[in-house]
Amino acid sequence: MNTLISLTDNLRTFWSYTGFYNAEPGHLIMILVGLVFIYLAISKEYEPLLLIPIGFGILVGNIPFNEAANLQVGIYEEGSVFNILYQGVVRGWYPPLIFLGIGAMTDFSALIANPKLILIGAAAQFGIFGAYIIALQMGFAPNESGAIGIIGGADGPTAIFTTSKLAPHLLGAVAISAYSYMALVPVIQPPFMRLLTTKKERVIRMKTPRVVSQTEKILFPVMGLLLTAFLVPSGLPLLGMLFFGNLLKESGVTRRLAETARGPLIDTVTILLGFTVGASTQATTFLRVESVKVFAIGALSFVIATCAGLLFVKILNLLLPKEKKINPLIGNAGVSAVPDAARISQSIGLEYDPANYLLMHAMGPNVAGVIGSAVAAGILLGFLY
Amino acid sequence: MRSFTRLSFLFIIVALFSGCSTDKKNPEWVINEVMVVNESNYVDHFGQRNGWIEIYNNTAKTMDLGGRFLTNDRNNPKKYPIPRGDVLTRIKPHQHVLFFADENPINGTFHLNFRLDSTRENYIALYDNDGKKLLDEIVIPAGMLADQTYGYEQDGIKYHEDGSSTAGILARVTPSSNNAILESNPKVDNLQETDSLGGLLTVTSMMVVFIGLIALYLFFRLSGNIAKRMSQKKVAQSGTLSAARSHSHLSGEVLAAIAAAIHELKEDQHDIESTILTIHQVKRNFSPWSTKRQSLRELPR
Repeated sequence: MNTLISLTDNLRTFWSYTGFYNAEPGHLIMILVGLVFIYLAISKEYEPLLLIPIGFGILVGNIPFNEAANLQVGIYEEGSVFNILYQGVVRGWYPPLIFLGIGAMTDFSALIANPKLILIGAAAQFGIFGAYIIALQMGFAPNESGAIGIIGGADGPTAIFTTSKLAPHLLGAVAISAYSYMALVPVIQPPFMRLLTTKKERVIRMKTPRVVSQTEKILFPVMGLLLTAFLVPSGLPLLGMLFFGNLLKESGVTRRLAETARGPLIDTVTILLGFTVGASTQATTFLRVESVKVFAIGALSFVIATCAGLLFVKILNLLLPKEKKINPLIGNAGVSAVPDAARISQSIGLEYDPANYLLMHAMGPNVAGVIGSAVAAGILLGFLY
Repeated sequence: MRSFTRLSFLFIIVALFSGCSTDKKNPEWVINEVMVVNESNYVDHFGQRNGWIEIYNNTAKTMDLGGRFLTNDRNNPKKYPIPRGDVLTRIKPHQHVLFFADENPINGTFHLNFRLDSTRENYIALYDNDGKKLLDEIVIPAGMLADQTYGYEQDGIKYHEDGSSTAGILARVTPSSNNAILESNPKVDNLQETDSLGGLLTVTSMMVVFIGLIALYLFFRLSGNIAKRMSQKKVAQSGTLSAARSHSHLSGEVLAAIAAAIHELKEDQHDIESTILTIHQVKRNFSPWSTKRQSLRELPR
């Protein structure tokens, strides 16, 4: 009889440790969200390199367990494996490493060949500050609003880096929001591109950019760093690594280092970043009204950034001679979702003129957007940290 | 237009560097707070009350005070050598350590071999390992009252913006902890008060973003023009058709007609032409910029 009681007690204890016993509706909702991410990544091929790690991370982060048992399995439990990996997000190590890889894989030729496209990348940063204003009006504190606003830069690593400093408690919501909307750029941007441009504007053909010399390509990261980092030193971790990666690529003598930075290194960090950001969305900390607000403002910030870029090109066109007019369809590419935003310019452009290839023109503002969002992040950190 | 670009670029560079900081720098180690007469204040590990000197690590890295010198004598910079090898002299970033001026160094690392005297001015200095390089100094005025401290309102901030000293008698006595207690982020508080709508920060930030990227634009416009001129020069020196085109600024069609005429003349063919030479420009729609594979990705439906 005693044996039976002991057995029952053991089973009861074991049951209290299982996920089934500890599950709450929030966990199930988040698991569903994770599954949607995985579905979108595999079925629709929306940013699979990001959505698969994040989606699976959400599943892992929302397996319920007995937190009182101190099992050291949760991402927020100090000393757990996931917690150690998560330090790269919390302390902001991963984003600069990702930027190193981005720098090593990005060809800035389009920007160097037609430098006025840089300004479109600056205009699109209005998405960040537009969202900042909206967040303030919705009751967020200035530092929280800055963290939410940075979603509008459409740059996951920058968003994570900035939020980890300004409002660490919003990290999960901001990161998921930024990456989700980056994946959804092909859905968000086209309606506004059509709405804000005329048929005549959509068929503007731009001159083929000139060939850029090796010297100019080498000068770009050096001067880019000096001109931007002197202005916004708080953006140094991102700007420094971005331009360093680009110098590795363009110097021509560090091919192995450049290949490592844009290959194994960025892949490794992307896996760790995506997975831990996903796992950080434990229902208990993530499912709050605040998170819903962050998502809503995040969507608006993408819309504002897209419209700002498009309208800026239209204004710029008023000042440019006829033969130098810019197709406003590349205005959306001022957000730094590289290269998806540029691909959208290309796709929409081809719809209206099958021989008008806008991709390389759009890559100019697109990579300028990366620099612009890093500068904007530096400004926010300078003002609010 | 070209000179305008150059001037604009130079202006931005000069403007950017013209504000190079001339502010007085706060040192890495700061003698942060000093109590001369301790009647009913902080008690040391031996249960005694003595005057004390608080030193602050004003850097973002852990630094070791071991091997440096504390003194109250301008003529004897090496008066109290802070013992090496004590882990407690390794001070974390922006943290403090307390030395008791009890003239009793046998009590340990943090007990000095001198006392402070309230009846006269107290000069206190911290010297580097060589005993020559002054790290920081402070002069405590005579007549300090019991349990009163002298130092800086903000930890490690020795100077006002105008360069004058911030030293003074402190409102709160805070041994081994921050002189200024920050309950919130002053930047955030200030923004909440002065810019509740966020418009000011938005305008400022957008201006900074534009300034940064305009500087890049001007630089690459300038360097692009130089690069174009250099490449034209190279082509011109090469003696090819492109060189002639680059040199004369004539259109390709005109140059082709001239080249054909010269060729025929040299070959002694067709001295007198009865027909019209028609040159069709070859249209090249394809270029790596318009390659088809770049547009393979379809929009999701």
